[in-house]
Parts: sequence; C-alpha cells; structure tokens
Amino acid sequence: MIASILIPGFELRAALLRRPSLALGPAALAPLPGTEPRLGPVTAAAEAAGVRPGMRLGEALSMCPSLVLVEHDPASAGEEWEGILRRLEDAGFAVEPAEPGCLYFETRGVERLYGGVEAALRRALAAVGSQWDPRAGAADRRFAALAAAGVARAGQILVVAGEHTRDFLAPLPLTLLSLEPDRHEELSELGVRTLGELAGLPGAAVADRLGPDGRRAWSLARGGSSGGVAARRPAAELAVALEFPEAVGNELTLRRALWALLDRVLALPERAGREPRKLVVSARLVGGGSWRRSATLREATADVARLRAALGPKLAELTAPVLKLGIELTELGDSAGRQLELVRPEGDELRVRLREGLRQTRSSAGAGAVCTVVEVAPWSRLPEQRALLVPRD
Amino acid sequence: MTTRSFNPLSRSVAGPLPSRALNAPRQALVEVEFDGTPSQVNRRPVALVREEWRVVDRWWTEEPVSRRYFEVVLDSGENTVVFRDEEKGGWFAQRA
Repeated sequence: MIASILIPGFELRAALLRRPSLALGPAALAPLPGTEPRLGPVTAAAEAAGVRPGMRLGEALSMCPSLVLVEHDPASAGEEWEGILRRLEDAGFAVEPAEPGCLYFETRGVERLYGGVEAALRRALAAVGSQWDPRAGAADRRFAALAAAGVARAGQILVVAGEHTRDFLAPLPLTLLSLEPDRHEELSELGVRTLGELAGLPGAAVADRLGPDGRRAWSLARGGSSGGVAARRPAAELAVALEFPEAVGNELTLRRALWALLDRVLALPERAGREPRKLVVSARLVGGGSWRRSATLREATADVARLRAALGPKLAELTAPVLKLGIELTELGDSAGRQLELVRPEGDELRVRLREGLRQTRSSAGAGAVCTVVEVAPWSRLPEQRALLVPRD
Repeated sequence: MTTRSFNPLSRSVAGPLPSRALNAPRQALVEVEFDGTPSQVNRRPVALVREEWRVVDRWWTEEPVSRRYFEVVLDSGENTVVFRDEEKGGWFAQRA
C-alpha cells in the first residue's frame, strides 16, 4: 500500500517554534513579500475569530484586530522538515517528500517489520512527533492515500482497502482537487459537488468541457494513477555554520564568509571524496527571521569556482543583515571519478543533452520557462501578431 | 490550526500555461520635438531619426490600430524602434 503523512499548516507551525506563545492566540502566516496579500495557514484561535486561510489581509485584520502575522521562517521549516524525514528514514521508511508537510512511502517493506500496515503507520506518526499533529492515510493509490490523510484527525490513521477506494472517495468534496475557482464554480453550477459525482461523469465529456486539468481531476476522483513511490536518497549530513559577533549586511563580507564555509564543508572527511550535487545556504537574520536557498547543480562537482558561481548570486537575495550563515551539502554524487570527453557530442547525443538542458531549465525556472516560437501571422503589419510564445511542457 | 490552506495537489492539477505574444509593445518614456518626432527615449537623447512610417489597421473593427513608428539611433549608438499609439495615446518600444 501507499501511505501518506500530512502535517497541515507545517510552515506556520515551524515559524511558531521560536514563539510558542503565539500558537495559543490568533495568528496567521503572513503573505510573502511581492505576492497577493492573502493569509497562509491560521491558528485555531484565529479560526475561532472567523479568520480563514487565504483570506485577504485587510478583511482578516478588520475581522480580528488582535491577529498576529507571523513571518515565514524558511530556515526553521527546512531544518525541521529534514529532521522529520531523517527520523522516518531512521525508522526504516523510504520516504518521498512531496513538499514540506506532505510525504509518501510504501508500506510493503515495513509491514512485516512492524506487524502490519496500521502498526507501521503508528510507528511513522511516532517518528514524526506528536507536537506536529501529523495524520496518516494509506490506500492502493497515492491520491486516495493523500485524501485519507487529509480527512483523518491529528494523530489518527485511516487505511482504505483497495475495493473501498471508490466508495471512500465518492462523498469527499471537490475542494480536495484544488481546481481553479472558476472550474469549481462551473462544476457547482452543473450540480457536481463531490468526487463521486465527478468520477461518475464520462471522461471524454469532462475533458471536452474542462480541458486537460479537468481530465486530470476526473482521473484523480476515480482514484488516480497507480504510480508508485519514488523514495529519495537519504540526505547527506554535511553542514557547517558561522556565527557573527554582530549582524553583517555587507555583501562582500558575507561572500567571503560563504567562501570560507564552502572550503570548510568540502574539507570535511565525511565527504569521502564524493562531489556535492545539491547545496543549501541558510542564514539567521537580525530580528528573528531566517533565510534559506538551495542550489542544485547540473552535475555533481567539487570544483570551488563552479560552486561559488552557483552560490554567490543567492546572497543578493538576502533580506536583512545576517547573524549566522550556514552551508549544507544535502545531496552527494556517487563517485569521485569523472569521465572526460574526447570527442565533441553531436547528433543524437547532442539532442539528448539539449533535452536534458531544457528539462533542467524548466525545473529550475518553473513551468513556462521553455517556449517555442510559433508563427501565426507572419504577414501581419502589427509585429506582436506575427508570432506567439507557446510554453513547451 | 486548519488544513484548508494546505493542498499538496495544487500543483498536480494546475491548468496549462497560456501562450503569449512575442514582441509585445513595452511602454516607453518618450519626449518629442514640435513636429512629434522623438527627442529622448527612456531619458536617453536621440541622435538620429532613421525612418518613420505609419501602420493603420483594423479600422473596420471595434479596436482600430493607428500607430506612428520611428526607428531612431540613440546617442549611445543603440538602434531602437518606438511608436505612438494614436488611438489610445502613449508611447511604446517594439522591435519592428
């Protein structure tokens, strides 16, 4: 079976770790700078005062003037999430993290170890820690497992047997699918309010009416694909940090500190000649905030110049003076060997590399970063009507 | 705390990205001479107006287009094309 563990409002919980007293009062995760002014997850006290996640900031503050806005704490969230994943891995679960607060794992390998699915899930919840209020779900399909975890209460386990998956999903609301609001409205106008009602419609008709995302939602409502879990490789634990006697805002000083940290982390004997593939730079900021950025390299390398080129620009994104700067190697390559090229690539080899480059561009810069230019009216007298940029996804 | 803001499925069911126009006009800050030719583009002086032409199109629709294009050389040596939208007003830069 596939199991899912959910920690609702994980980022707010992580941000409140340093200010636990706020968890008891009305508080909400503040919107990120430069984004729409909508609230993130909220505490129970805030919800009791009528504040809802996703509510506009002005509306929330007028409804609950004592609402405390909690700044994001990405460094704490990253550290805590990594800690949870490592505790699960230590307990024998090969986890696939979906995003902070949500992960999957296969129960097949651990059922005999712990004496059944439920016992394994209980062990997993214990590994996560009760302070996070985790909930677990298990089913034959990923979506059903996630839905089961979504409807379970804190600390509860919900196992859906294969033959009951459709019956379990049928009464659940469509909000689990997180379609565009106008799609929800459209479905509501058509009288479709539950996953079961959506699953009961003909797939072709849904695709025709709602497009590819509607078709995907329809497929999920019927249980989703039977894809397995791609467990991550357990992360390396190579980290070094530097505390400054007073806050540093000068980028040149920070850059020098980062280079020194880079040299120190590469010199750690635990690295055993393996080359880093993914690095994380984190900082504790003046005023209690934190900052965290990761860099995934196209290929593992221990070349200092290339690592500096990948990490240096991240420092420009710091938002406040730094009290503590850290660097962590979170993924390492397999071996220290490197095969050099004798002949320049061409033909199929070149195409494969180009495709891989485009894939990496897309994964780092987001969907829509790779486009094709399609001529639609090259004869037009208006230059902007001659060609379109069509995303290649 | 509540679960509603957290939906791990949001990415998996996001809709396809829309296409967008290539070479869409960008707003430009243009100062003009008495005859309407540009003297400054984005606060940089114009050294030479190389060419001027008009585009009048879609006059039969609700959204007619009437533009006066100028190809200019800035004092930095950069070649650029700007136009004045004579229907809605305002100056724009665009590769022609």
